Amino acid sequence: MLSLFQQGLEIVFTVQILGLIFFGTVVGIIFGAIPGLTATMAVALFLPITYTLGPHAGISLLVGLYIGGVSGGLISAILLKIPGTPASVATTFDGGPMMEKGEGAKALGVGIAYSFIGTLLSIFALIFIAPTLAKIALSFGPHEYFSIAIFSLTLIVTLATGSMVKGIFSGALGFLFSTVGIAPVDAITRFTFGLTALNGGFDILTVLIGLFAISEIIKVAENVKTEKNATINTVTMKGFGFSMKEFWEQGWNCIRSTLIGTGIGILPGIGSGTSNIVAYMVAKKQSKHPEKFGTGIIDGVVASEAASCSAVGGAMIPLLTLGIPGDTVTAMLLGGFMIHGIQPGPLLFVSQGPLVYSIFIAMVVSSLIMLVCELYGVRLFIKMLAIPKHILLPIILVLCVVGAFGLGNRIFDVGTIVFFGLLGYGFVKCGIPQTPFIIGLILGPMAETNLRRGLMLSDGSFIGFLTEPISGTFLALAVASVVLHIYQNHRVKSPVPAAQH
Amino acid sequence: MSDIKKREFAVGVFFLVVGLGYLYLTSTLPRKQAIDAAFVPYVLATIMCVLGVLQLRAARKLVASEASATQGERSDYATVLKTLGLIVAYAAFLEPVGFPIMTVIYLFAQFIVLTPTDKKVNYLMYGAIAIITSAAVFMTFRYAFDMMLPVGLMN
Repeated sequence: MLSLFQQGLEIVFTVQILGLIFFGTVVGIIFGAIPGLTATMAVALFLPITYTLGPHAGISLLVGLYIGGVSGGLISAILLKIPGTPASVATTFDGGPMMEKGEGAKALGVGIAYSFIGTLLSIFALIFIAPTLAKIALSFGPHEYFSIAIFSLTLIVTLATGSMVKGIFSGALGFLFSTVGIAPVDAITRFTFGLTALNGGFDILTVLIGLFAISEIIKVAENVKTEKNATINTVTMKGFGFSMKEFWEQGWNCIRSTLIGTGIGILPGIGSGTSNIVAYMVAKKQSKHPEKFGTGIIDGVVASEAASCSAVGGAMIPLLTLGIPGDTVTAMLLGGFMIHGIQPGPLLFVSQGPLVYSIFIAMVVSSLIMLVCELYGVRLFIKMLAIPKHILLPIILVLCVVGAFGLGNRIFDVGTIVFFGLLGYGFVKCGIPQTPFIIGLILGPMAETNLRRGLMLSDGSFIGFLTEPISGTFLALAVASVVLHIYQNHRVKSPVPAAQH
Repeated sequence: MSDIKKREFAVGVFFLVVGLGYLYLTSTLPRKQAIDAAFVPYVLATIMCVLGVLQLRAARKLVASEASATQGERSDYATVLKTLGLIVAYAAFLEPVGFPIMTVIYLFAQFIVLTPTDKKVNYLMYGAIAIITSAAVFMTFRYAFDMMLPVGLMN
């Protein structure tokens, strides 16, 4: 392990890679800070640049964008009271009121410090959990992979907010699109309508760019003409703005929120967008003074920022060990790995050990850069908030088109991002969650291929999926999560009809 | 019927249409055995049809109070439609017209479409930004990253 660390250090500590991490983190913070732009979009935009870089350099850049993008949202959440990304929604609850009370600098200091601590702790969790999990995963066969895919699919559906029917449909539709192209095992061409471009199926990256970047641009077009310019407040930062006493007082709040964030990050498909709200609610519930939450106290900022940023390390765990993305940005990173011919999974730790450890180190370096840049460069980021959206968004769309085109030098991929952009916008308007779609698209082939392989191993019998201990446990957990969700929904809804009649 | 209820019905119909359409396409696949390339698509199509029925049932049960509770603010669909039209046209003409020219046209038109109502359209500035952006992106990706972006009419 130590030699792998040493090799990782040698890879990262070069001028080129350190420069790329710095660039990625700063751009990520800018994307996170500007409402409407997200870390997912930042990674999507910079993928074409990684085509010509080597895997170490390319992935280091993407990691910087990821860490900066998740953390940057706190700037607008506090200064504008508008979350820059879904990861900083709960930061507005107390960060905004603190700004109004004239404690903006303190709120920013707390947010920056705890987003750094959250990120760092989750990276340590990643470093210690991932190699062990990868070792266990090496013994997994088709039965286990099929069951994990099914478990992940049911989990994302049941944890998705809103209608469960729509969540399942979204996941099934993603699965449906994954069946386009050459089928696993018997290599029959399915649903290609004679288009050779569809033989290889849809590229995950084109789907992601369309669903998350193009649809977002169309969505912003709904209100951009009537949107009033928010007043951007400026602050002068002097250190972190909080005392050591306050730091120690927030100790348990920080640890609990980091554990929540890392745990939620590990679950497939949900990440910092959910963890910040869950951690805020838990902090409020367990606080001695819950009534003060929402009035501008640091407890709320600490919970939100520690949880949202710790989801970063958590989300990388299933990506690196099983090839299952923890959230939408890691889904994009999965595509980034594939561009360089790297397949994340347990074998990655065996065949590409130095690369894995270089990712760990790049993450630590990026979080340090994030801390310094946010602390001393806050004035620059505030200026970025003033860039008009009607100029910025069309330029982003052009870069998305370049990114899609660059995947295979095909106009077909440009058409694909437009198609999935329209589909994503339709999802938004109909209240259908997008994340289950992506998870369905990514895990669909994994489930189908391993189902076919598993059945071949057990002579066509499904019993093998139930009798293999790990496989059986995951299938039981999948059933339990669905049953529990239906039961909880029923309990919530049951008093309503009585009250209406 | 409220807008929300209509929307939920439309979503249910969409689920059913997708499910039935996919079921039809799956039925055209060659069969070899019970578990073959058509097995998973059949399962998915069945799930989608069931979800369509469930969604229609849920939409029918949606009571007026629930339907009106989620009414949001009005959106500017005229701008959305213009934006959609521009994006589709940009993608469609990218190859024949070429990236540099099409990007300038798209950016210029899109800037105008998205300009907030309380701001004046600055044609000169928009034109300059569109030309500089198009040239910078084209040069960077064509010459620094060896990406063969289509040149179209400039060939």
